Amino acid sequence: MASQNIIFREKDVPDIREYDVYVKNGGYEALKKALSVKPSEVIDVVKAANLRGRGGAGFPTGVKWSFIPQTEPVKYVVVNADESETGTFKDRQILENNPHQLIEGAMIAAWAIQATAVYVYLRGEFWDVAHELDKHIEEAVAGGFVGDNVLGSGWSCMVYTHLGAGAYICGEESALLESLEGKLGMPRVRPPFPANKGGGLYAEPTVINNVETLTNVPWIITNGADAYRAIGTEQSPGTKIFCLSGQVNKPGNYEAALGGITFRQLIFDEAYGGGIPGGKQIKAILPSGGSGPIIPATDEVLDTPLTYEDLQKLNSILGSASIIVMDETVDITWVAAKVTKFFRHESCGKCTPCREGTYWLDKVLDRIMSGQGKPTDVDLIDNIAKNMQGFTLCALGDFAANPIIHTIKNFPDDFKAHLTADSAVMPTEPARPARRGAAAAASGAD
Amino acid sequence: MLAEKYAERIDKIFAKYPTKRSAVMPLLFIAQEEYGWITPESLVEVAELCDLDPTQVRSITGFYTMYSEKPKGKYWLQVCTDLACALRGADEFHHQLLDTLGIEDGETTEDGLFTVEHVMCLAACDKAPMLQCNFHFHENLDLDKVNALIAQWRAEANAAPVNG
Amino acid sequence: MANSVKIYIDDQMYEVPAGTNLVDAAKFIGNDIPVFCYHPKMKPVGMCRMCLVEMGNIVKDRSTGEVTLDESGNPQIRWFPKLQTACTTVATDGLVIRTNTQAVDDARVNVLEFLLTSHPLDCPICDKGGECPLQNLTMRHGPGTSRMVFEDKMRLDKQVALGDLIFLDEERCIQCARCIRFQDEIVGDPVLAFHERARALQIIAVGDPPFDSNFSGNTTDVCPVGALTTTDFRFGARPWELTPVPTICPHCPVGCNVTANTRLDRDFEGRAMIKRMMPRQNEQVNEIWMCDKGRFGHHFSRSSERLMQPVVGGSTSAWDDALNAAADLLRNAGGDVAAIAGSMMTNEDLWTLRQMLNGLGSQRLGAWSPTHAGADLVAQVGVGAGTNLTTLGADDAVLIIASDLEEEAPIWRLNVKQAHDRGAYVVVANARDTRMDAFASTTLRYGTGQAAAALQNLRADNAEVAQALADATNLIIIAGAEGLTLDGSRALMQSAANFLIETGHVGKPQNGLLATFPGANGMGLFYMGFTPETTLDITQNPPKVLILAQADVRYDDPAAAEWLSRVETVISLSLFPDEATQSAAVALPIQSFAERDGTYTNGARRVQRFYTAQGPLGEALPAWQVISRIGERLEQGRAKASAAAVMLEITQSIPAFAGMRYNELGKVEPQFPEIGGDDLYYGGTAYNNTGGLGVQAPTSADEGSVPAVGAVELPKAQKAKKGDLVVVPTTKLYNHERTFEPSIHEMMGRRVAESYVQLNAADAQKLNIQDGDLVQVTVGSAAVRARARVNGAAPEGTALLPRHLADTASPLTIGVGQISKISELVVEG
Ligand SMILES: Cc1cc2nc3c(=O)[nH]c(=O)nc-3n(C[C@H](O)[C@H](O)[C@H](O)COP(=O)(O)O)c2cc1C
Ligand code: SF4
Ligand code: FES
Repeated sequence: MASQNIIFREKDVPDIREYDVYVKNGGYEALKKALSVKPSEVIDVVKAANLRGRGGAGFPTGVKWSFIPQTEPVKYVVVNADESETGTFKDRQILENNPHQLIEGAMIAAWAIQATAVYVYLRGEFWDVAHELDKHIEEAVAGGFVGDNVLGSGWSCMVYTHLGAGAYICGEESALLESLEGKLGMPRVRPPFPANKGGGLYAEPTVINNVETLTNVPWIITNGADAYRAIGTEQSPGTKIFCLSGQVNKPGNYEAALGGITFRQLIFDEAYGGGIPGGKQIKAILPSGGSGPIIPATDEVLDTPLTYEDLQKLNSILGSASIIVMDETVDITWVAAKVTKFFRHESCGKCTPCREGTYWLDKVLDRIMSGQGKPTDVDLIDNIAKNMQGFTLCALGDFAANPIIHTIKNFPDDFKAHLTADSAVMPTEPARPARRGAAAAASGAD
Repeated sequence: MLAEKYAERIDKIFAKYPTKRSAVMPLLFIAQEEYGWITPESLVEVAELCDLDPTQVRSITGFYTMYSEKPKGKYWLQVCTDLACALRGADEFHHQLLDTLGIEDGETTEDGLFTVEHVMCLAACDKAPMLQCNFHFHENLDLDKVNALIAQWRAEANAAPVNG
Repeated sequence: MANSVKIYIDDQMYEVPAGTNLVDAAKFIGNDIPVFCYHPKMKPVGMCRMCLVEMGNIVKDRSTGEVTLDESGNPQIRWFPKLQTACTTVATDGLVIRTNTQAVDDARVNVLEFLLTSHPLDCPICDKGGECPLQNLTMRHGPGTSRMVFEDKMRLDKQVALGDLIFLDEERCIQCARCIRFQDEIVGDPVLAFHERARALQIIAVGDPPFDSNFSGNTTDVCPVGALTTTDFRFGARPWELTPVPTICPHCPVGCNVTANTRLDRDFEGRAMIKRMMPRQNEQVNEIWMCDKGRFGHHFSRSSERLMQPVVGGSTSAWDDALNAAADLLRNAGGDVAAIAGSMMTNEDLWTLRQMLNGLGSQRLGAWSPTHAGADLVAQVGVGAGTNLTTLGADDAVLIIASDLEEEAPIWRLNVKQAHDRGAYVVVANARDTRMDAFASTTLRYGTGQAAAALQNLRADNAEVAQALADATNLIIIAGAEGLTLDGSRALMQSAANFLIETGHVGKPQNGLLATFPGANGMGLFYMGFTPETTLDITQNPPKVLILAQADVRYDDPAAAEWLSRVETVISLSLFPDEATQSAAVALPIQSFAERDGTYTNGARRVQRFYTAQGPLGEALPAWQVISRIGERLEQGRAKASAAAVMLEITQSIPAFAGMRYNELGKVEPQFPEIGGDDLYYGGTAYNNTGGLGVQAPTSADEGSVPAVGAVELPKAQKAKKGDLVVVPTTKLYNHERTFEPSIHEMMGRRVAESYVQLNAADAQKLNIQDGDLVQVTVGSAAVRARARVNGAAPEGTALLPRHLADTASPLTIGVGQISKISELVVEG
C-alpha cells in the first residue's frame, strides 16, 4: 500500500491536469455527490476519515469545518498555497499537475460550510502557476462546477486566485488573511479565530486549508471515510506527499501512505531517494523544513515510520513533511546559521522576541561562522532562542528558535569545532572577495 | 496612467474582492509590470484606485519582497540560496553567476540588463540550483545552462532595446 | 454590578465588568501589568509581548456547572501551556491569572532585554528621559546588563522629519505601532505605516505633505519611547525641570483640557515660560487628545508683537493715566456706550464688562463675531448635563449640519468619527463636501445657504434619514453657521431645536444641541449677556463710546472700517496692537490665557478653570482687572480682588452658574481608563488632571422646562446675478488670526494655506479662470486676493472662500460677489 496515488494522479493518468481528462476519469463526481447530501453530512464524512491538515499543524480538517457557524450569511474558504518553507515544493506540483482535484476539493469544502467564495492564496513566485490555475478555474466555471448556481443547486460560489508577493509569514493563516485584505502580512491576535465572526477573511467565518489537504477531499467523498482510513495509521490516515531534498540522489515529491514507509526507505530505496550522493554517510535530517527540530540520522531514527505520532516520539514533527537530508560533510552549525538567516529575513517584525531575537541570533552566528565566536556564545544563542520560544504571537518565533535549540542539543560537537580550533567543516559559504567595480571591467571586456 | 491602459484587467481585479483595499497587491504587480519597478507616481495612482494613503501602499511595497522600490535590470534574476538548494550547491552557483555578470549581489549590470539577488526558498528545492527570471522558474541549472540563458536574454534585449 | 464577572488575579478574587481588558482590570485594582504596545484607547495588538502572564480557567463540571475541586479542596485550574498576553484578553468568568511568578518575571526581563538589544540607550539626551515607559519599566523589571555586543546594534537615522511638526528617531523606535494605530483608529488619517519587516521595520510617512494630519502631536504622547518628538519641544527641556500647569486651550469651542509645561527660562528673562502643551485627561471633553493648533499654537502668548503698555492718544502711557482717560471718556458719554467682546475673553472678564456697562446705564453688549446665533437655544436644549461624546455608539445618532467640523472643532470630529466606528448613525449635511463625510453613515447636500430649510423639510425630503434620527436612542445635532447669515444661523438653530424637541431628544444626557461657536468662550458670551444680534445693532447704530474687548474687528469684518468711523471714541482692550487699537483713543494691554487665571465655558457648556502658567508680558493685566479698575474710577465700587471673587459674584447672579465656584471647578475624580499615573506606561506626565474637570451648566430642559421654539422664519436665499457668484466664507483651523499667527512662523508656516478660493469648474470656465490663477474676490466693500482652486469642492454658482488666510478682511457671512483674474505683478508691487 506504500505507493498509492490519491494526490499525484498524474502518475496514473498523465494528463489529469486537462479538464477533459479529469472529467473523463471521474472528475467532479465527488462534488456532485457532495451536493446531493446535506453540508453537515459532508463534514461528517471528512471528520470520520480523520483527514489531518497537511499545512503543518495536522489539525483534523472535518473538525475545523464544523467550527463554522451556519448562522452567518457570508463565509469563505481560503486555500493556502503559500508554500514557502525551505524544502517544501509539493503544493506547486499539485497545482501544476492535478489542479482540478484541488478546485473540486475546495468546492466541496465550500459546500460543506456553505461558503460564498473561495480564495486561493498563492505565493507570489507562483506567477505562472496562478495563471494556469485561472484557466482551470474558468474551465470549471464553464462546466458548471464553480460559479453561479453550482450544478443547478441554487448555491453559488466563485473561486479566485490571489498572488502574494514574497513573504513566508503569509503562509501563517491569519497573516495570509491580512495579506488577502491588502494589508501587511502580520499575524492577527486570536481570539477571534478565523472560524468565528470577526476573525476570518473580511471578518467573516473562514476555513483555511492547505492545498494538499483539500486535494484529498474528493477521493474521500468518492470512496468514503472507511476506505480512507484503511490507508495509513489510526492517527495518521491517508497518504502524504513527502518532499525530499538536500543530499539525496533523487530529490523530489513522493506520495506514500502515512506510516507506510520509514525514513530509511524514503531516503535510500530506489523507488524514492535512492541514497546519498557519492555513497556518503547520512548525518542529519530536518523532517519539517527549516522550521522543525533537526534530528541525527541514527538507526532508530531511520527506522521510524513516517507518521505524525512517530515523529513526535523523536521530539520532532512531521509538519508538512519537507524532509531535508544532510550527509556527513555538512556542518550543522552552518545549517543553523543558514536557517537563522531565513527567519531573520522572514520574521514579520511584530513580536519583540522574534524581531529582535532573529536579528541577534544571526549576528552571533555570523560571529561564530567567521571564527570570531566566544566559547560562551553557544550558551548565549541557546538562551536567546529559549527566550523566543513560547513568547510570540505566531509559531514563527518558535520555528526560529528550533534550529538553534535542537542543533545545540543534537550536534554539540559541530559548535565546539567552531569555537575551539579553526576547523573548517564543509560546506561553509566560500569567502568572496569584494568585486565592486568589477562590473565595469566585465562589461568593458564584453 | 495605469487606470486607462489596463482598464479591463483592473476592473477584473476589483471584481474579485468585496473591498478595494484587497486589490492593492495585484495592482502593484501591474504597476511593476509597466514600469519595471514601483515608481512614486504609480504608487500614488494605486493608492488612489484603492482608496488608500500613499504611505499605506508604500508600506506594502516595503513588506513584500517581490515589489521593487528602485529600478531593476530588465532581467531580475533571483537565485535561491536557501538551505535545501545550498545543500545542492546553490551558493556556489550564485557566486558563479555573479562572477559571470561581474556584479555583486543586489547589483545591476551597467547595461541595465541584469539584476542578481539571492532569495529565500522558492519551492523548487528538488531542482536546485535554480533561479527565477522575472518570476518565471528556471530549474536544474549549472553554469553552462545559465550562460546559455544569459546569451538568449541578451539577444532578446538587443532585438527589443530597453526602454528608458 | 449587573454585567460583572469574577476573575482571580494572584489568587485574589475580583469582580470586574464583563469585557474589561485584563490590563485595565488589573490596573484598576492597583496591579500594574507592564505594557508597551497596549494603549487603553486603542485596540490591543499583542505585539510587544511585555504583558505576558500565567493564565488559566477554573474548571467547571460540564453537566452540573459546579466548580471542580482538587484534592485539597481548591478550585481546579486548567492552565494554558504558554504565557498569555494580558492585553489581548478580556475578563471572563473564572479567568485566573498570575502576575507575580518567576515565569512572569523572567518573561518581562526577556522582553526588555530584547528591546534593549536594539535601543541606543541615549537617555541622557532624549526628550522622553524622565517620563519614558521604556526607562521606567527597565528600572522596575529589566535585566541588569546587556549581552548584546554594542557594535552589532543597528545604526539608523536619528532625525527623520515625518512632517513639519514631528521627528522620528529610528534607533529609539520599538515598533509598538501606537502612532500608526492612533492615526488609523482614532483619527482616521492613516498617514503613518510600517515599512520593511523583521528588524528592519520602520515608521514612514510618504504622503504629500507627509505627516498630513491635524492631530499629529498626539503620536508623541502615545509613543512609549523618545522616538517621536515635536519640532516645538525637541531638545527644549528635560521633563523633570518642568512645572505642569493646568490650562484650557483657547482656540475653539471644544475647550480641551491641557497642561502647560513651564520652566523658568533664559529665553524669557527668567520668567516661567511655556515649553510645551500636552493634553490633560478629561474623559468628557478631550479624553487625552488635543489638536496640533492647540499644541503648537501657544507661541502667540509670548510674541514680541504683543501690546505691552497702555496707549493713550497714540502714545504709551502709565496705567493710572490710561485708566483715568478711559474712565473720563466713559463718564462723558452720557450712557451712550456699548461693548463688543470676543470669545477669548473669560467669563470673569465678560461679567465685569457687563457690570461696568450696566453701571453706566447701557445694556448694549455685543458678541464677536456676529456669525453664529442661537446660543440661547443651546442654553435651553443644549446637550444634557453629563453628555459625553466619547461614549456615543450603536443606537445613537449625530447630525452635523452647516459645519466643517474638523476645521471648527477638531476634537469633536474625532469624537464623532469614533462614535461612527462604534456604530452610531452619523449624518453630515452641508452644501459642500467636508472631511467629515468620510466618517458619515449618510451625507446630505442642500443648496448653498439652505441649511435651515433642509432641516425643516427633512421629513419630506429625506424621510428615512429623518426617521433614523428621530428613532435613535440618543440624538445630538451639531450645528455650524457655514453659508448662513446671522438670521440664517438663527433659523437653523431653531429648526434644530424644534427637531430635537419634537423627537424627544432634549433634557437628558447624550441628547441635544451643540454649536461650533468660534473661539473658546462663545457660550460664556451668551451667559454673560453678550449677543451677536446686539453686535449688529451696534454696528448699525454706533454709540458714542465703544469698548472693543479682544475683538479683532478690522481683520474679521471688511465693513468694520466704515462702521467704526461712525463711532466717536474707541476704547480697546487687546493682546495685540491691531488696527482698531491704533485708531483707539485708549488701548489697554491685557493678558492672554497663559499669564492669568480664569474660566471658559465650552461649547457643551462646561465651565472650565485655567491657571496662571506663564510670566507676565510687559505691563499687560487681566481684562477683568483692567475693567474693574476703570469701574472703580467710575465710582462703581471697589475693584475686584481676584478672578475667583468675580466668579463668586457670577454664581450668585446667573442661575446656570450657581454651582461654579472655583473650588467646585477645580475638583477631580478618578477617571477610567487611568492614564498617566505612576506607572507611566502610557507616556507623558501631563495627562494627570489636577486642575479640575469643570462643571457643566444645566440646560433649562435639564431642569424640566422645554421651551416652545415656535415658527421658524426662513431667510431668503441669496441669488446671484449672471456673472456673480454666491461667496461662502469657510473656516480653516490654521490661519492668520492674531491669536495664532505668531505661533506659526517657524513650525507651522507650511501648514497654513496660501489664500485661496474654490470654484466649480463650470463657473471657472464662464469666468475664464484657470486652476492656480490669482484672483480677486469682491463682496461689497471686501476685496480679497486668493489663488483659484478649480475643483469639485464648490457647488455650481458658489465660491468657497476661507476666512483669515489673506492679509485683508474676508466677508463675515455669505454674500454675492464677483471674482476676477488679476495679474501676478500686482502682488509683488
Ligand atoms: C510561519 C508559518 C508559516 C506557514 N506556512 C504555511 C504554508 O506555506 N502553507 C500551508 O499550507 N500552511 C502554512 N502554515 C500553517 C497554516 O497556518 C495553517 O495551519 C494551515 O494552512 C492550515 O491548513 P491545514 O489545516 O489544511 O493544514 C504556516 C504556519 C506558520 C506559523
Ligand atoms: S512570531 Fe515573528 S513572525 Fe510571528 S507574529 Fe511574531 S514577529 Fe511576526
Ligand atoms: S503585547 Fe500586550 S502590551 Fe504589548
